[in-house]
Amino acid sequence: MSTSFVLKSLDPSTVYEATGAMAVHAVYDTLVTFDGADVTEAQPWLAESFESSADAKTFTFTLRDDAVFADGSTLDSEDVVFSLDRLKNLKGSPSQTVEGLSFTAPDASTVVVTSEIPNPDIPTILAMPSAGIMNADAATKLGASAAEDAATADTVGNALDTESIGSGAYTISSFDPSSKIVLKANPDFWGEAPEFDRVVIQNVDVQNQELAIQKAKNAEIALDLSGPMVEGLPDTLTVSGSLDTSYQLSANRDPAVSEITANPAFSQALSLAVDRTAIAELFGADAVPAAGLVPPAFAGALPESDVQARDIDGAKQLLADAGIANPEVELVYPAITYRGVDLGTIVTRVQQDAAEAGITITLTPQPINAFLDSQGAGKLALGFTPSSLNYPVAASLVNNMAPGAGTALRTGWTVERADPAVIAAGDAVLAATTIEERSGAMEEWQVQMNAHSPFIPLANNSGIAVATADLTNTEYSPAGWIVDLPRVGTK
Amino acid sequence: MIAKRLGSALILLWGITVITFLLVSVVPGDPAAANLSPQAYDDPEIREAFERKWGLDQPLIVQYGTYLANILRGDLGISQQTNRPVLQDLQQYIPATFEIAIPAMIIAVVIAIGLGVYSALRKGTAADNGIRVFSLAGLSTPPFWLALLALYLFFYVLGWLPSGGRLSNDFDPPPSVTGMYTIDALLAGQFNVFADAVWHLVLPVGILALLTVSALLRFVRSAMLEVMDSDFVRSAVAKGLPRRTIVWRHLFKAGLLPILTVTGLMFASLLGGAVLVEQVISWPGLGNYAYRSALSLDLQSILGVTLFIAIVYTVINLIVDVLAGIIDPRIGHA
Repeated sequence: MSTSFVLKSLDPSTVYEATGAMAVHAVYDTLVTFDGADVTEAQPWLAESFESSADAKTFTFTLRDDAVFADGSTLDSEDVVFSLDRLKNLKGSPSQTVEGLSFTAPDASTVVVTSEIPNPDIPTILAMPSAGIMNADAATKLGASAAEDAATADTVGNALDTESIGSGAYTISSFDPSSKIVLKANPDFWGEAPEFDRVVIQNVDVQNQELAIQKAKNAEIALDLSGPMVEGLPDTLTVSGSLDTSYQLSANRDPAVSEITANPAFSQALSLAVDRTAIAELFGADAVPAAGLVPPAFAGALPESDVQARDIDGAKQLLADAGIANPEVELVYPAITYRGVDLGTIVTRVQQDAAEAGITITLTPQPINAFLDSQGAGKLALGFTPSSLNYPVAASLVNNMAPGAGTALRTGWTVERADPAVIAAGDAVLAATTIEERSGAMEEWQVQMNAHSPFIPLANNSGIAVATADLTNTEYSPAGWIVDLPRVGTK
Repeated sequence: MIAKRLGSALILLWGITVITFLLVSVVPGDPAAANLSPQAYDDPEIREAFERKWGLDQPLIVQYGTYLANILRGDLGISQQTNRPVLQDLQQYIPATFEIAIPAMIIAVVIAIGLGVYSALRKGTAADNGIRVFSLAGLSTPPFWLALLALYLFFYVLGWLPSGGRLSNDFDPPPSVTGMYTIDALLAGQFNVFADAVWHLVLPVGILALLTVSALLRFVRSAMLEVMDSDFVRSAVAKGLPRRTIVWRHLFKAGLLPILTVTGLMFASLLGGAVLVEQVISWPGLGNYAYRSALSLDLQSILGVTLFIAIVYTVINLIVDVLAGIIDPRIGHA
């Protein structure tokens, strides 16, 4: 496996970076999982079955009885509760995925998950690598704590970077956070043995990956090639992708930051001015214009027919009606290449499109850390950034982008400044008790967001996995683990 | 003299910790924003836990005091990006960089001295012009571009060399003694691992050597040319001394001092400055570590790398001064 490392730890309770999630998924089993790249419905895994209460506040998981950890000991519900409590209480990056949830073990083979609010996405959340189940006894010996004060009491440090206390198909053979993770097949794996005895996840520069995958003599997968790079590869390689990333503008609604962007008419005019089809082409053949905030890979995405058409006259009219004459705005963006695309080329296109509607945009690239700092402080009048879901639940966007939520506040979008229709649409998403109901509510929410929010979706592009011809089951998964390593086989 | 220089070096290193600490602290960027997911960053409880864990909730002066006290105990702190002690990281990544920097420097010095002396002795000839063009081209070539070009040619087109990394995926690293795979493999008697490690060294060492030769040979040439105009050289020629004796015993010895100084500085710069080459060749060395530390605003790692580079510069300068005193005893008394 060749990938540009995004990796801090192999501790499931703190992992949220892509490379770490891929390795952790192979070492730690979860209650449920996904079948290949389809992330619409969680499938039984450690739990042989699960059921939801009618109000989607209580989920009961029944564990299979043959699952064992890598040391041969039996996995039971106490291990599950310990692992999920630790995830919640450690206060790491993935902890917010289980906020408001509590976990109990009425007997050795049953786990009950209770949510404060209706949440039909709980099985999806529990499929994430961060919800991997660890051997509670072994973890405790290493200093792990699942108590409420785990953020300070847990002393496991980096022990889980080298110790394998999961029940997954692989165990950790060696770990170097900057260059290489070596996994070896778990001889005591309770499920079907993986095809490969040894898997090496190696940090390789993306240009290097492009050359190496074409000359690969062994089974190999490259994970960082972008759309334009893939177009030039030989047909013998297997390419798969999933439209899981979105790119959007955000116009600050705080008048203290910008009187111009604070006017909702500005966002609407800019949204009409941009040529989304032309912008998508800049990302390569795999990209599409964005219809809404949810990328097409996830349930709840708007159909492509909902992509807002370009309307320069309409944009000018909106600005004139709002009394915004010759607006001049600074657009700040991170000066990075993301998935092979220089973000500068995208914002330059936005600048050109906006100029046709009479909007003057000054481009200001910033180093990524400075950008994150400015964005976090809510200081940007107009910002541009890529985003993807931390876990395949589109409703998480409501938690972050609804008026008054974290991301929305960074654009000055408070509840007071929001249209009631958007708030109502968000509430409907959070009140939904089934996946289908929630997906429908998400679509309506996006329609309202397109009409009223400070966020202007531009395009979606794919994460891509390129594999040598002899491999099977190498499809790119938007689930967070990129490629399901235990399932990779040969023809 | 050495005791006095050591005293100055310690003050210099302390000053470096102060300056680096302040610089890293005033650089725009919030370590919590750089290390947490946006959603986690928006959660005050998670953000507070992060800041408490890394001591970022303390006043700057307290953070610095803690850092300095820890350094004196040999503790460089914990890296936010690797979750390991910075000292452990440095112990792993420094040998990897040494493994390419030392052979690159040796090769570069030998070639640069040879070509520089040759070029100076044939000043104005086609050979001299050719060598100067070569040097200028090398100096003008961006290191990452040269690395990509070399990778394309020797891996992709010719297939002679591997695409990067320290070892092929079929091999595990040898038991660590020095951290340099070639030496450790020999010590462990793993000759196939040794051969594979050497094979992986060729590309990065070649690139770094080429870049270093280009800069160094200009210094050698100009140092030699400067000495060639000296009276003692004209006297040696007038006395009828053999050409070889004039060149190596008089000319080269007199020009050695500036060459020695520049060589020392270039070696130090090679240790910390091979970032882009290490990135392209996927070499897990100090440059790569420094690059990743900067991207994630990993304060402890940045300070650790800076301190190490400062120590290297200080030690190399000390060695150069001592050697200079041996070459020219007048310097020792100055």
